Amino acid sequence: MLPDTWSAPDETDRRRGGRALDWLNFFTANLQTAFGPFVSVYLTEQRWTQADIGFALSVGYAATMISQLPAGALVDAMLRKTRAAAAAIMAVIAGALLLALFPEMLPVLLAETSHAFASCMLTPAIAAVSLAVAGTAHGAAGERFGRNARFASIGNGTAAGMMALVGSQFGPRAVFLLGAGLALPGLFVLRMIRPPAPVKPLAPTEAVHRPREKLRDLLGDHKLLWFALCCAAFHLSNAAMLPLAASSATEKLGNDATLVIGACIVGPQIVVALLSPAVGRAAERFGRRPVLAAGMLALPLRGLALAFAPSAFFLVPIQLLDGVSGAAFGVLVPLVASDLTRGTGRFNLCMGFLGLAMGGGAACSTWAAGALADHSAFVAFLALSVAGALGVVLAGLMPETRA
Amino acid sequence: MTRLVACLILAAAPALAPGLAPAIAKDPPPARQPPAPTTKIAAAGILGRNVAGPDGKVIGRVVDVVVDAGSNPRAAVIDFGGFLGVGTRRVAVNWSDLTFPPTGTDTDIKLDLTADQIRSAPPYTDQTKPASVVQPPPVRTPSPPVATTQQEPR
Repeated sequence: MLPDTWSAPDETDRRRGGRALDWLNFFTANLQTAFGPFVSVYLTEQRWTQADIGFALSVGYAATMISQLPAGALVDAMLRKTRAAAAAIMAVIAGALLLALFPEMLPVLLAETSHAFASCMLTPAIAAVSLAVAGTAHGAAGERFGRNARFASIGNGTAAGMMALVGSQFGPRAVFLLGAGLALPGLFVLRMIRPPAPVKPLAPTEAVHRPREKLRDLLGDHKLLWFALCCAAFHLSNAAMLPLAASSATEKLGNDATLVIGACIVGPQIVVALLSPAVGRAAERFGRRPVLAAGMLALPLRGLALAFAPSAFFLVPIQLLDGVSGAAFGVLVPLVASDLTRGTGRFNLCMGFLGLAMGGGAACSTWAAGALADHSAFVAFLALSVAGALGVVLAGLMPETRA
Repeated sequence: MTRLVACLILAAAPALAPGLAPAIAKDPPPARQPPAPTTKIAAAGILGRNVAGPDGKVIGRVVDVVVDAGSNPRAAVIDFGGFLGVGTRRVAVNWSDLTFPPTGTDTDIKLDLTADQIRSAPPYTDQTKPASVVQPPPVRTPSPPVATTQQEPR
């Protein structure tokens, strides 16, 4: 499971690599922010019709779903995961530039698909590099993924704030240029993470020679299927909650809602930044299942609170619960994937499979909540809470994966 | 096949022998009309343009135009609110409440309604169904309630 060309790093290398990873997570987190719903704002400003925008976004979504498993398999097959991450960052930067400079149908479709495939490579690749840097000491992985989630959320929150500022001052196009510019330092910090000593050619690691597990073997693991179900349930409940809450804020406050929605987005990132390291340690100490169940519990609570919120300003404190479940999942997805694939060489494929489960849950969430919200946002929030409650039950029944 | 040949001949005909084309065509001839004349008019597209409220502050952007069976524009669909695209609402506002700037200028389209007056209107979701359109309030008082009506289905 460890990247194959790595030999055991010593303590100084580990610390240096760890700091570089902190920054890598910081600089790459913004890429998701720029490519989210903001693409639709930008293309509207570029005088695209809604039908064309919908088509381009669907292509991007379909490409993400199709890419998950192949991208994971590709990263597994690459000897140097740092190269996989570097290639992915470059592809995402290229996508952002394409969007900014050529807002025509073909370049936008190209940008959307290349971004989709690249981000499906980047997430697992960063996690794989993290595992290698963290080493196999007891509890090291949880600690590392806690830090990853912390710095990713700081990067996310900072980028969202900067993008909103730049977008309002210089127009939507500048947001993509900023996104590309923010990702660039990621390439440089990536170069600081290197195999600390050359691998002895006569003593290759075991993983090189052991044949990789087939996808079927991986899927035969009932623990993985349980966890994938949990991930799907999490996003079934989670994905539509923020958009729904934000749109109800706009309904109640008009254009003044912008600040409230901004706080609803940045607030949880601060919570994730504060909680993640503790979540990582707790997952190592008490096991994955209790942490997962606790994180999942925040969902039905949040859904119910949103349903009964007396005014739009309550949305901000309620949304902080998003940070609780966000921290739990941000840490647990790579951690459980590493539990389940130790020694199989299939870590990245497993991450791709979990990504597929999350994407499917999120799509159902958006679709179902959108349909319900046309009648009543209250009912939609209740339905999302029920999905969250289902997730709590699933998490409670999930087999423990900690070794 | 014969149709294809006829088409080819037709295409070449005007150059070879002007006026011969109608005589050759046996099938009802595919319409090959001369290009219609064009003229520059003082009008321009509005998709993606900013819409400003009575106070001049930008409220949102035009994303669609709602037209009735009599070819009259009845409403403009506006995206407004949100943060980086999250939480945007989409509503249709009465066409006659919009004032368009002179063609060629880059100023915003003016809307007689404030963001507060349109914020809670029913969302514009399905372009195949009759749209709910925000109407001007019946009496112009400082803070009138929002009036929305359902357009009669045709």
